[in-house]
Amino acid sequence: MSWPIVRALIAKDYTLFFRNRLFAFISVLGIVFYIIIYFVLPSSVNEELDIGLYALVIPPVFEQLQGEGLSIKTVDSVETLKEGVIEGQYLAGVVLPADIMEKLATGSEVTVDVYFTADTPQELKDAVTNLIEELAYIQSGQVLAVDISEEIVGPDMVGIQVPPRDRMLPFFAIFIILTETLGLSSLISEEIEGRTAQALLITPMTVKGLFLAKGITGVSLAFGQALLFMAVTGGLNHQPLIIVFTLLLAALLVTGIGFLLASAGKDLMSVMAWGIPAMIILAVPAFGVMFPGTVSDWVKVIPSYYLVDTVHLSANFGLGWGDVWQDILILLGFDIAFIGLGIITLRRKLT
Amino acid sequence: MAGDAIVAQDLTYRYGQLVAVDHISFKVADGEILGFLGPNGAGKSTTVKVLTGQLRPREGKVTVLGIDVARDPEKVQAQIGVCFEMTNLYEKMSAEENLKLFARLFGVPHFDATAILERVGLAGRERDRVENYSKGMKQRLMVGRALVNRPAILFLDEPTDGLDPASAENIRKVILEERERGATVFLTTHDMMEADKLSDRVGFINQGKIVALDTPHNLKQQYGKRALRAQVAGPDGGLENREIIMDQPETAGAVQELFGREKVVTIHSEEASLEDIFIDITGRGLTE
Repeated sequence: MSWPIVRALIAKDYTLFFRNRLFAFISVLGIVFYIIIYFVLPSSVNEELDIGLYALVIPPVFEQLQGEGLSIKTVDSVETLKEGVIEGQYLAGVVLPADIMEKLATGSEVTVDVYFTADTPQELKDAVTNLIEELAYIQSGQVLAVDISEEIVGPDMVGIQVPPRDRMLPFFAIFIILTETLGLSSLISEEIEGRTAQALLITPMTVKGLFLAKGITGVSLAFGQALLFMAVTGGLNHQPLIIVFTLLLAALLVTGIGFLLASAGKDLMSVMAWGIPAMIILAVPAFGVMFPGTVSDWVKVIPSYYLVDTVHLSANFGLGWGDVWQDILILLGFDIAFIGLGIITLRRKLT
Repeated sequence: MAGDAIVAQDLTYRYGQLVAVDHISFKVADGEILGFLGPNGAGKSTTVKVLTGQLRPREGKVTVLGIDVARDPEKVQAQIGVCFEMTNLYEKMSAEENLKLFARLFGVPHFDATAILERVGLAGRERDRVENYSKGMKQRLMVGRALVNRPAILFLDEPTDGLDPASAENIRKVILEERERGATVFLTTHDMMEADKLSDRVGFINQGKIVALDTPHNLKQQYGKRALRAQVAGPDGGLENREIIMDQPETAGAVQELFGREKVVTIHSEEASLEDIFIDITGRGLTE
């Protein structure tokens, strides 16, 4: 196997990739689009809770906490309160019972109605319910039974929320990488369909050299673009080594999947037919990061979970090797499995 | 001293239970043009694939340029040029880019694409993308691509198929030039005239077996029948055909009788064609 031969084939593949208007357009537009979206999204989270309050009697502690990350606006009716929540003036509307002070004083159970809009994130609901319990505790000096319509689940995220655009970083990165799965597999399937692979393999180019060239093309396309995206969006500010290494493993993963797709498809259309469902499945773990609680543990069977999880934890929370090594190891295992399987199936098709 | 460029001994290849090539043996001398003829499915392409290292023989042995193809196909492939029957060019690249890519794969230093494109009649279109070429132009480029490494052996599979007469003649000229250069040519074709005109020897393959292998002249001597073909005036004023087989004991009498009893309008002698000989040997046509 000769390096100049492999290099010649890589140069040819890059030429053909960018002459395929569809993939060239998707690749360039994808990066630009994701970068723009990233910068358009809010760069910080508004940590102040705007809460609407209807109460005949307002406990003093509610007024004392004003300005400490809490903004409480009182209204004169429950209807006005509901309207304010619907119109987005308040993140939540709280209705305190008329006898709240007596109940707090006697330690009786307090019933508090809280209104949210349907799209209120679960973590915000949790924050508000926690807050009410906290206020009741401060006011009475003891833990009281507070009956709130929202069930309290999960941790209190107030103060450690990840801005939406940073939460979307793994999502964008995985989409950039996954797009190249289709690019690589279409390059290979065109090579098979057009019988050019047969012409290549009757030169000093060996099957091993062909795989090496295609592998380098696939990895460099996916890795290069994802790296560029992460660099531009500041995704490499925390734990850059971990993220670069993870992206490299991800590029290897999609190269293996690209080999599999190319061996499964007979032409560009069938590659697309296999590739799009594969892309959707691989993208599912990214939704779990964007919308916590929407996916459960089964998502861990999808290889891309370990990519998304590692990028999310490292880029957004600065977690180090000690926290993500298991994810990286599993991702490496998937890489070996998919590359191996891809080479076996594609080799059978080529020879 | 000229040696053998290709030696096949007892070569056999099977696709599952189907025997595509059945214990064939032959040699091709250095600088020789061997025409390899046979109908579709006879085993021509499989033989070429084994000779070029694309398939490993199930039985037998093949040496090309003295190298065992099954053991070291890459070494053989570095020294041969192959023109496939089906077009397999990079359509989104230009003719020049296609040739340069293969020159790089073969490690050809200082490669001159224009010279090859001129030889195959594509000068002036070298920068056009292949997807805009006609079938004939693509075929000529395929032949040109087979020449990039100045191969010691050229394997040409139907190189003039789909070409107009002038382009086909151009390719035949290139084949003869390559032979002049010293290259050996293994030519598979359906065109009997072409095989007759270009080949030093022709081999007939049928149902995986070589049924005849000799010079066109010897094959015609051995199997062909020369004939006199005449057109005579019929009783209604129209023309009727007459045929007299030559080199037979009764030939002289038949000719005398023809001229004595009929009004001969035209007469000419005709040699058997390779197609006639193939039918004679196998009982089937080359295009079946």
